[in-house]
Amino acid sequence: MASAVAATGNHERYAGLKRHETILLFVLIAAVAVLAFRSEQFLTTGNLLNQGRLLVEVGLMALPMTFIIITGGIDLSVGSIMGLCAIMLGVFWKNVGLPLELAIVMAILVGAMAGFMNGWFITKVGVPPLIMTLATLALYRGLAEGISQARSVRGYPDWFFQLGQGELFGVPTQIWLLLFFFVVTAIVLTFTTFGRSLYAIGNNEVAARFSGIAVDRIKISIYTLSGIMGGLAAWVFVSRVSTTRSDMGTGLELDVITAVVLGGTSIFGGTGTILGTALGVVLIQLLKNGLALSGVKGDGTIVVIGVILILSILVSDLLRRQRGAEH
Amino acid sequence: MKKSLFTLLGLGVLLGSTSAMAQSAWDGGDDLPVNPLACDGSAGAVEAKPYDGAQPSNAPDRSGKNITLVDIPKLIGVGYFGATTKGMQEAAKELGNVEVTTDGPTKANIDEQITFIDNYITRGVDGILFAANDTVAIAPVLKKALEQGINVIGYDSNSTPDSREWFVNQAEFNGVAKSLIDNMAKEIGEDGSFAIVTSTFTTPNQARWIAEMAAYAQACYPNMEWLETVEAQEDNILSFNQASTLINKYGEDLDGIFGMTSIATPASAEAVTQADMCGKVAVVGLATPNAMRPYVKSDCVKSVVLWNPVDLGYAAVYAARAAADGDLKPGSTELEAGKLGKLQVVNGSEILLGAPFVFSKDNIDDFDF
Repeated sequence: MASAVAATGNHERYAGLKRHETILLFVLIAAVAVLAFRSEQFLTTGNLLNQGRLLVEVGLMALPMTFIIITGGIDLSVGSIMGLCAIMLGVFWKNVGLPLELAIVMAILVGAMAGFMNGWFITKVGVPPLIMTLATLALYRGLAEGISQARSVRGYPDWFFQLGQGELFGVPTQIWLLLFFFVVTAIVLTFTTFGRSLYAIGNNEVAARFSGIAVDRIKISIYTLSGIMGGLAAWVFVSRVSTTRSDMGTGLELDVITAVVLGGTSIFGGTGTILGTALGVVLIQLLKNGLALSGVKGDGTIVVIGVILILSILVSDLLRRQRGAEH
Repeated sequence: MKKSLFTLLGLGVLLGSTSAMAQSAWDGGDDLPVNPLACDGSAGAVEAKPYDGAQPSNAPDRSGKNITLVDIPKLIGVGYFGATTKGMQEAAKELGNVEVTTDGPTKANIDEQITFIDNYITRGVDGILFAANDTVAIAPVLKKALEQGINVIGYDSNSTPDSREWFVNQAEFNGVAKSLIDNMAKEIGEDGSFAIVTSTFTTPNQARWIAEMAAYAQACYPNMEWLETVEAQEDNILSFNQASTLINKYGEDLDGIFGMTSIATPASAEAVTQADMCGKVAVVGLATPNAMRPYVKSDCVKSVVLWNPVDLGYAAVYAARAAADGDLKPGSTELEAGKLGKLQVVNGSEILLGAPFVFSKDNIDDFDF
């Protein structure tokens, strides 16, 4: 009886969610059409590829953020983790004297450690994710500044810039990286037990525990994944801007969370897809770019994105309720 | 045996550190070569450096035509860059054939600044004015602008020279040093004694200013007495405490305090006010007018040294116009900048705004930042 109710609940959510993505796709198409009409530079291959280059860092971090928010958690420290990894990459290379290749790996490991620490405290000590990652948001940023003494690391060799500034088959290199992880995370979330467990945890964590899901281990692993992606994003970012600063990625967590929520992942957990997140990331980037190109200033852009965020959530919620009433 | 070894080691460390302190703590300057200006204010003989900026490639002929500029400061919504924007609009209005829009991030964030510039390149502008959040990180996107034939001019905060044409430099280190020492000498006399409250001995800008101050004071006011330089980070309470300690420690011997940061200067003024030493201990320093207004109004502080950001923005637009017209090109030695007159080209590809600006009771109300 109870399981039957849960099943229909899931079914409804899943259907409503599909609708959210459809709505988002329409919003995206409408936005592109309007923006293309307002600026002739907008819908050019050069501009779109360039925008692709700019959205990779947010995109990489939005993938594990989707996992985390589906379980009802949050990771506010991703921007700081990116800053820490970026500075560690520079420090391992320049100050410690490791080969650059090894420094990149080490920096990503630092990201993994930082994420693992978030996950460990959240599950084993029971600190709420919001509090824990709010604390590490400050802590990791502080570490980045302390370790680097707020000094930049510069002078990377030319090959290093291939990832951030180069191209592969005519497409910016880092987009391939993002596409790869997009496909992998989408498959994991949709087709594996691990992925389905995330929804179970988000819907009812206690029930998930009783049904034998290793809740703690899964949670630790997704926060660790978030750290790893923060490290990857740091690598891409340093390579794109050709220098390392300890304040890199400040405030990026909000961009990441906005994209995920716009993509239809409920902040209360239990719903969300990688495809939705991808649409969210793309929509925000194109809005920012298109509005700038059509002459809207920076502060106006933020207002428009805020309005679209609220509207899309309202509409999708409304539709979900209507569907609920029909049944 | 082991114990005595440790004692010896400890003693060695202690001795080493005190001798190191005796060497370095006297002024807080760096050990780089200094270039003090002449005492009478005549322009020092500066060795001409060849042009080291970069030129836009295949730029269209913009000479005399209407041009659109975009100004992307470190951040928008703060008084300082509000003032540079004001100067830019003034210059644009005067010139008549220039349109300037200011747009930028709301936080001093290099990621966002790069994105802003990138979008304006795509949108197509004739020129970009920028104040860099990071010297190196901003370079790739500026080079992209140059490659597309856009005029690129920096102001306030430089990028690497090879990623822009010109940089409008608000003040040189030796110019700031001269202005500080001259104003202090005016207030406490040429044989007065002073102390300095700085951020830390390792902060590059402050250390550079102090080194230039030492060189200039030695050359021009040999009887001035340098008591001590103390560190106070960029911390309000620590700066106040350090200034209070100086007042108590030196008593009658202390005639003046220099504040080297926009935090240390108002904090020192507050310490002097609370110690009831206004008029007995002068405060001269680098600070913004808004923070110093109460002390200047109460006559406790007579001169605040900085530059005039309105003029800085004004000069940047004139530089962009001249670069677009082809009047400002590699090898140029000066820039005709409207009401500011002729500005000198220094250091390869920098346009010097001139001597630092001194805020006093007479003019401080004209500024809001």
